[in-house]
Amino acid sequence: MRRIAVIPFILLLCACNAFEYQPYDGRISGETGINDKNVALIESKCASKDTLRFILISDTQGWYDDTEDFVEVANKRSDIDFVIHAGDISDFGVTKEFTWQRDILNVLRVPYVVLIGNHDSLGDGDEVFEKVFGKPNFAFRAGRVKFICLNTNALEFDYSNPIPNFDFMDSQLDSVPSQGDATVFVMHARPFSEQFNNNVAKMFEYEIRRFPGLLFCLSGHDHQVEADNLFGDGVMYYADANIAKRKYFVFTVTPSGYTYEVVDF
Amino acid sequence: MKLLISKILILFFAMFSVAASAAEPDSTVYTRHVERYRSLWDKLIPTYYKIQYAGSMGLISAGVGWNYGHHHQWETDLFFGYVPKYDSRDNKLTFTLKENYIPWTIHLGKRYSFDPFTVSLYFNSILSGKYWTHTPSRYPGGYYFFSTRIRTNLAIGQRVTLYVPRERRKYATAITAFYELGTNDFYVISAVDNHYLNLRDILHLSLGVKFSFF
Repeated sequence: MRRIAVIPFILLLCACNAFEYQPYDGRISGETGINDKNVALIESKCASKDTLRFILISDTQGWYDDTEDFVEVANKRSDIDFVIHAGDISDFGVTKEFTWQRDILNVLRVPYVVLIGNHDSLGDGDEVFEKVFGKPNFAFRAGRVKFICLNTNALEFDYSNPIPNFDFMDSQLDSVPSQGDATVFVMHARPFSEQFNNNVAKMFEYEIRRFPGLLFCLSGHDHQVEADNLFGDGVMYYADANIAKRKYFVFTVTPSGYTYEVVDF
Repeated sequence: MKLLISKILILFFAMFSVAASAAEPDSTVYTRHVERYRSLWDKLIPTYYKIQYAGSMGLISAGVGWNYGHHHQWETDLFFGYVPKYDSRDNKLTFTLKENYIPWTIHLGKRYSFDPFTVSLYFNSILSGKYWTHTPSRYPGGYYFFSTRIRTNLAIGQRVTLYVPRERRKYATAITAFYELGTNDFYVISAVDNHYLNLRDILHLSLGVKFSFF
């Protein structure tokens, strides 16, 4: 009997760092402020580059093994400058999901940034996201291209939190010195999805077309690969599938234009 | 359900009888009814208090509960838990309904006993408007399949009990220390189909003390 009694105590010792207060407790362990650090890396690395090559992934929530496999595949490439994750890094918005996924993506050899998805906004998930990764709206410049990353998950928030945030977009338009000669918009849910504030979908399109050298828009959310001229005005919207479909986009932006391919892994 | 209804009926009858027989102070019928009425309410007095650290229901939780079953092998706990805000929006208060089953008790002399295995099922609810049980109506039907407010937890554990001798008794007849290893529905869903997550990722530990009053 005594021997049997000892077994759980051994288990207990193994789990000594596993006191949990609540899945949504916001008690973050490990690295925070990922996006700021990686934006600095991207900006310095790409400052003098004519041609950019980056990967788009999205919707990795709950698919830890597939995300790990992606990281392994991406690390075998030497032609990639950075990785953009278009949101839904967590499934339920609970604190540990953000750090589990962060620990997987931190193995990437190239810098990465993560946008906020609707699942990331559940409960207090948006607060945890902001701490671990960064602000819901942010922008960075890679070479001559400005990337404007937006929270478009309007269904998750009320009117006190403007989504999409036109003031933020205007502020990026006004900051001409940091504006390159080309612009890419990135968001989790694209216009006309149920998450988007579709009352302003046309205004949104009008706003983004004011930016110099608008190249295309990127998103995730729909869990399928999409390439659509959404408004019929020539602005292309590309969406990556969820990571369980094991497809990622590679975009190559050159001074004369861009090309893309969808890679299966 | 039938038992509950009959209990409510008895209670109602007892109350009615008390009112009706108040005019006859020495009636034995009256005394019997008062006794029954009192004993019914007495059964609602919790038989123990508990304080628990962690366990996915609060940094610290305090609660009351009831022992029942032939060998007191069943327990029902009600807890309020406190979660500091850390990097989330607000401090949180949670409520927990917990059912414990303690199949075996090994008595070690008169003063100690050891429960080699306990199993607990509990539901923890965050008392905050930001968390919902059912997906709010603004979402299309079936948009999220889960509740952010209520977590279902399963835990196993062990306990040791110290019985306080009658002459030294001040507050409690017995003090029990326990630990539990548990997980919740979200973590199980996450770990299924993912080798990346192992038991250490999804199991959480908690410690607690129970003060038995009867």
